Amino acid sequence: MKGAELAIGDLGGFLRSLLEKEVVDCLIVPHRVGNNVAYMLVTDPNKIGSGEEIFIPSFSVNAGGLLKGWTIKSKVGLVAKPCEIRAAIELVKLNQIDKESALLISVDCPGTFENQVYADHKDEIGDWIDSAKIEELKGKGLEIREACKICSNMLADVGDIAIARQDGGDKVVVAALTPMGESALNALELSLEDKDIERKDAKAKIAEAAKNNEASLPKFGSIEALEEFLRDCIVCKNCRDVCPVCYCKECFFDQPLGDPVSGDLLNLGAIRGAVGLPANQLFYHLTRVYHVSATCVGCGACADACPKDIPLTRYYPVITKKVQEMFEYVPGKDVEEPIPFTTYEEEELEDRLR
Amino acid sequence: MGEDAKGEFEPKIIGFTCNWCTYASADLAGTSRKKYPPNTRIIRLMCSGRLDPMFVLKALLNGADGVFIGGCHPGECHYIKGNFYARRRIAALRTILKEFGMDNRVRSEWISASEGDKFATVMREMAENIKKIGPNPLRGKVL
Ligand code: SF4
Ligand code: SF4
Ligand code: FES
Repeated sequence: MKGAELAIGDLGGFLRSLLEKEVVDCLIVPHRVGNNVAYMLVTDPNKIGSGEEIFIPSFSVNAGGLLKGWTIKSKVGLVAKPCEIRAAIELVKLNQIDKESALLISVDCPGTFENQVYADHKDEIGDWIDSAKIEELKGKGLEIREACKICSNMLADVGDIAIARQDGGDKVVVAALTPMGESALNALELSLEDKDIERKDAKAKIAEAAKNNEASLPKFGSIEALEEFLRDCIVCKNCRDVCPVCYCKECFFDQPLGDPVSGDLLNLGAIRGAVGLPANQLFYHLTRVYHVSATCVGCGACADACPKDIPLTRYYPVITKKVQEMFEYVPGKDVEEPIPFTTYEEEELEDRLR
Repeated sequence: MGEDAKGEFEPKIIGFTCNWCTYASADLAGTSRKKYPPNTRIIRLMCSGRLDPMFVLKALLNGADGVFIGGCHPGECHYIKGNFYARRRIAALRTILKEFGMDNRVRSEWISASEGDKFATVMREMAENIKKIGPNPLRGKVL
């Protein structure tokens, strides 16, 4: 792949020039807000910060979801973590984003803290964490999000451009992954050379750690265990609203059968003798986990958003991964690869039906 | 309800069958007096591809002990590829249900219109298997 090495201090200039050279009409990038970082859509290059914000280990929303409905001609550049870019790529496949109008730039992610945790401990955590730092912080009771502990795709390798932070040092490599990415870098007049940011060994290590962490999470094993897990759920559907790959305009669970009131509720009660309220707790979560079974990128935004602190990372990413493994599908890895439910093989899966 | 005359557990099975093959096979099983469990309720779909996995979830959450899905043999779907999509959906749903020990309550078979025997056999087997694993643990719960 073609790429260029930049000093970390040049990242701000790099982002600014994407706007100045009109490679994109706007950028969605992290910016500092008080003690924290959040995303902004920016058209004025002067509003771009130092550029180092892109690595700050704080998770607010999955920015891939912010591009839902971006089917206009004006071009947006999204600079975000791999799980966010992967979500955007799934949304492209779901026809919710016009790929021609989106320049997707993934950045290395070291693992993240919930944004409120980050804000409360900004000075201790800092702008970049490596594995030693993660251990040190853990000793102080500050742990990265569960979703990040079980993530094996934290090194930037998706989208049109990847920004790799070599060894956590003060150099980064900006590399093109697609023709769109390469023409963007060319437009910036960077002198491009062959760069290799594959990092196979590092990835294998991360995947191993992720697997172990996942194996140590509690398992369900029975439907009663799921019932207990969801016991406190108030069916507010926040987990759906923040999910980047839940995109239906009219969710079943906002309609009379899914969100029954008055007569519909009475009918349900009449069928079953009694109905738990708010209605459809299990039905909602079982349906949703099926709906995102191919496309869940494991970002953990759902867990962060739950007002009842249900650790949904143990449910959505963990359960959906079983389906993804069956289809040998990694959501967001390849924009050309169809979502498993939209295609088929004539001979397959017969051993999974009975 | 859910018990036979001797007070034994009689599983309630909801069957979703496609109009062109498996529904016809159930019909044939009936007219040729093949025995299959009386607690089987058949719901006719035009094609197995019409099966929204939510139907299966809803049946289970409402207390069905088993859910059967029947369609034409692969390659013989009246709508050419409905059952190919159905197969992926069912496989995914069963993979999810497996994590909660509920996959063995859901079974899918391809049964053509002339296979009345196969339909009766499959339904008997299914009822036997579910008798072994017992009633749906969600049955009677306030959900
Ligand atoms: S279900 Fe949760 S973890 Fe999966 S993509 Fe949606 S918000 Fe992220
Ligand atoms: S966010 Fe939490 S409380 Fe709200 S529907 Fe999801 S699991 Fe239930
Ligand atoms: S019509 Fe029978 S499976 Fe499609």
